[in-house]
Amino acid sequence: MARIDDGVHRNGGFEINVDGTVVSVAAGETVATALLAAGRVSLRRDGRDGPRGLYCNMGTCCECMVVLVSDDARRLVRACLTDTTPGMIVSTTTQDD
Amino acid sequence: MDRPDVLVVGAGLTGCATGWHLARQGASVLIVDQGDVSAGASGQNAGSLHFQIERRFLEHGEALADQASRVVALNRLAIAEWRGLEEMLGAHLEVTLAGGLMVAETADELALLERKCRREAHYEIATELIDGDRARAIAPYLSDRVLAASWLADEGHANPRLVTPAFASAAQAFGAEIRVHTRVVAIDDIDGGFCVTLATAGRVRTVTVRQVLVAAGAWTAAVGALANLHLPVLPAGLTMSATQRAHVFMPHLIQHVGRRLSMKQTESGNVLIGGGWASRLYQDGKGAFDLSRPPALRPENLRENLRAAADVVPALAELALLRCWTGTVALTPDQLPIVGEVPRKPGFYVCAGGSGFTLGPVFARALAAALGGTANDEHLALFSPARFEHLNSFMG
Amino acid sequence: MIEPYDLAIVGGGPAGQAAAEVAVSAGLRVAVVDEQARPGGQILRQPPRQFTVERWLAGRAYRDLKAQLTRFEALPLDWFGRCSALGAFPGADGWSLQLSGPEGSHLLAARRLLIAGGCYDLPLPLPGWTLPGVLSAGGVQAFIKSQQFVPGHRFVFAGTHPLQLLVASQVVAAGGDVAAVLFAQERGHLIAEMSRAPFAVLTSAAAFMIGATALRALRRAGVPIVFGAPVAAIEGDGRVESVRWSGEREGTAACDAVGLCFGFVPQTDLVRAIGAEVRWIDRTGGYAACHDDWQRSSVEGCYVAGETTGVAGADAAMCEGRLAGLAIVHDSGRITPSDIEREGRRLKRRLAGLRRFADMLGRMADPTEWAMRNIPDDTIVCRCEDVTYGMLDSALRQQPAPAEASALKLITRAGMGLCQGRSCEHAVLRMLARSSGKKPSELNGFNARFPARPVAIGDLIPRP
Repeated sequence: MARIDDGVHRNGGFEINVDGTVVSVAAGETVATALLAAGRVSLRRDGRDGPRGLYCNMGTCCECMVVLVSDDARRLVRACLTDTTPGMIVSTTTQDD
Repeated sequence: MDRPDVLVVGAGLTGCATGWHLARQGASVLIVDQGDVSAGASGQNAGSLHFQIERRFLEHGEALADQASRVVALNRLAIAEWRGLEEMLGAHLEVTLAGGLMVAETADELALLERKCRREAHYEIATELIDGDRARAIAPYLSDRVLAASWLADEGHANPRLVTPAFASAAQAFGAEIRVHTRVVAIDDIDGGFCVTLATAGRVRTVTVRQVLVAAGAWTAAVGALANLHLPVLPAGLTMSATQRAHVFMPHLIQHVGRRLSMKQTESGNVLIGGGWASRLYQDGKGAFDLSRPPALRPENLRENLRAAADVVPALAELALLRCWTGTVALTPDQLPIVGEVPRKPGFYVCAGGSGFTLGPVFARALAAALGGTANDEHLALFSPARFEHLNSFMG
Repeated sequence: MIEPYDLAIVGGGPAGQAAAEVAVSAGLRVAVVDEQARPGGQILRQPPRQFTVERWLAGRAYRDLKAQLTRFEALPLDWFGRCSALGAFPGADGWSLQLSGPEGSHLLAARRLLIAGGCYDLPLPLPGWTLPGVLSAGGVQAFIKSQQFVPGHRFVFAGTHPLQLLVASQVVAAGGDVAAVLFAQERGHLIAEMSRAPFAVLTSAAAFMIGATALRALRRAGVPIVFGAPVAAIEGDGRVESVRWSGEREGTAACDAVGLCFGFVPQTDLVRAIGAEVRWIDRTGGYAACHDDWQRSSVEGCYVAGETTGVAGADAAMCEGRLAGLAIVHDSGRITPSDIEREGRRLKRRLAGLRRFADMLGRMADPTEWAMRNIPDDTIVCRCEDVTYGMLDSALRQQPAPAEASALKLITRAGMGLCQGRSCEHAVLRMLARSSGKKPSELNGFNARFPARPVAIGDLIPRP
């Protein structure tokens, strides 16, 4: 896992929270990128207790579902289509568990 | 099998369950369906086991309510039937009878609940009228908007996907034959029975049978026409929604006395939301409804259904809607099922038009008894096709 | 009362952009919807606004596409990025499109609708393919191209489609490591298909240049490219650790990421939900939207363009988009048939050539031989609902055997999950075809239903 630096300038960054751990991200990165960059390859356990991670990275497979936690709501989203925002709280424990 | 005792048209719940009872009784049974097993409403309903008087019986005034609520008399039988079904079939059907709550949010709705509970008491259905706090003690996920509810400990749900196939397997184990993708093309009267023409993959065959049972849901009228009978069963489109899977927090059957709402959470964790919201039947361009297509979703109805659901169970707002589907159910002119022998045509039986999932197993048992010439169930007399016999004065 | 748009376009890739350009220049009010934040589709999946990327897709092959993208971004139209199209319903003035975005859900009214939803990587079930670290090759490419991120250290690419050569070379160029690129088919097969269609080869020199350049880069980096090497299993504990392949050159490679590349499937869930006709695509499987030769679907007021109508590449998508745009402008009464006849003919001639090339590529990359064959019973087919090959096989051996996909779904739950069959439908239909003795094109797929993407219930409820 590596961010490409050659020829790439990232403008600003901030922190998000993934399952209680602080993760630094660059502005514009998706939650999927943030997860992989933080070494979170496995996002859930399936019905046979097998590990699962993301697959298509374009919103069709729904493997990368994570929960965004805010004051008044928990929202299931596709990580690959969700842009990170400062202070975002992400839970990879989907309600399946 | 070309000389079975009984031909059952429709491999849905009623057809397969009746087939099983008949086969166990020693009859030779052929079950046919134009599609796969459970291709119609039997496979598309949400699996409610509702034993309280349904809201749809209360909305057209007292007289109709009085007549319609007679179906509730069957509910006691249905409860017993469902309680013993898994053991009887030796199959896991996800039968969950954790109780049901029919809620009210306004004073008017509370009054409706009160009248309903009095009727139910008359039929010895043990509903209990409780206030909102007590309802939330039983079901903490209910919103504060719930003012009162009628609670019935025996209500719940089961998994339609598992039920009909279990009956089908059981029927086959006793020698019943199930022929799928087989259309009934003609039904002719002969001495002592019927000669029925069937078409499977373009091949046409005839079978000679003593008795016919039509349990074909929305297609019942069309099959009746083949026998030159008016079977007053009319199609209607309904709407269902399923949420993502979630940890099971809603074990009860939740209904609403004043709004169209019925929901439950399945063993797999999906919440199924319905309650009688219409979807729109397609037309065939020749003045009839096209039942080969699932009805068209009416998004405004979906929205109202979901709004009612989230009003009663606020936690639903956070769940993702996975899928909405529409299906076609069968209605009769007086909202009561039509079950039993058609007087105009002895040996010709029908079963359609009302609570096919909840009452299917009860109908099946009673029908098998009637077809077998044993006990004449007086409960079923209320639903006899005889009440529409005037429609067949010139038919048959 | 909000005036409906003249045209709503679902998909901001090359096809959607081309149509938008035509429509806007004819004075139509246009809205474009896309799940990505920025236009470009998958082929030109742009980096975030906050990034500055020198030499982004700098190659000659992207020149025309990038020029169109630049023009598109300057067009006066309404762009709805990070929005999913959940469903489209006939309305008083044409269409009511239900959208869902980060701010919630809303309805968008438009007189005409163009669906240019693109395509996605064919998800072909293999033993171990659900292990974390296994991605589609397109998914790997999107991380590199758009997020400027390499989603692994040591990759194995495997499949049948030559695109994996390009993605592998992009991994190498970005500093990643590629342990092997595995083609299930023999090299001879690829060459044979090319020699069967020399005209297609000659007229598509650019595409071959890309492939040749990628091949050279991989060879220079010492990356083994192995033919006749179908994947036997993807293995690992908790995540992917190695890929094992069979064939004469059987072997194993250690890795921490896999890119699978077996071809592409058109995105047609919205098309099908509307009731427009689709046709089964042989080889990859999946459904493509049917259309007349002006990109009109079988449903009045709905047009289709790009990979949605059949995977044929970005240049074909641009042509189809332009054709659709012309048809829409014509159908809106803004121009006469004679105005567009000549350009229409030119576009259609170009399309014919491009489709010949795409067809050849499709034959080269045909995954049929390795699709749902010789896989162990415990291989997951429906990823969302954990339905295995063995479960589907058992269901098909029942008496009576289910003959419809919807019946198989009812029995096994395949297709009932979050992705609503996008990943498993093709596999289910292949198995059903084998069991029933029919061709997949003779079967019905799953019923496509609302919503085309998951949406929170709270977002759908009208505010009081």
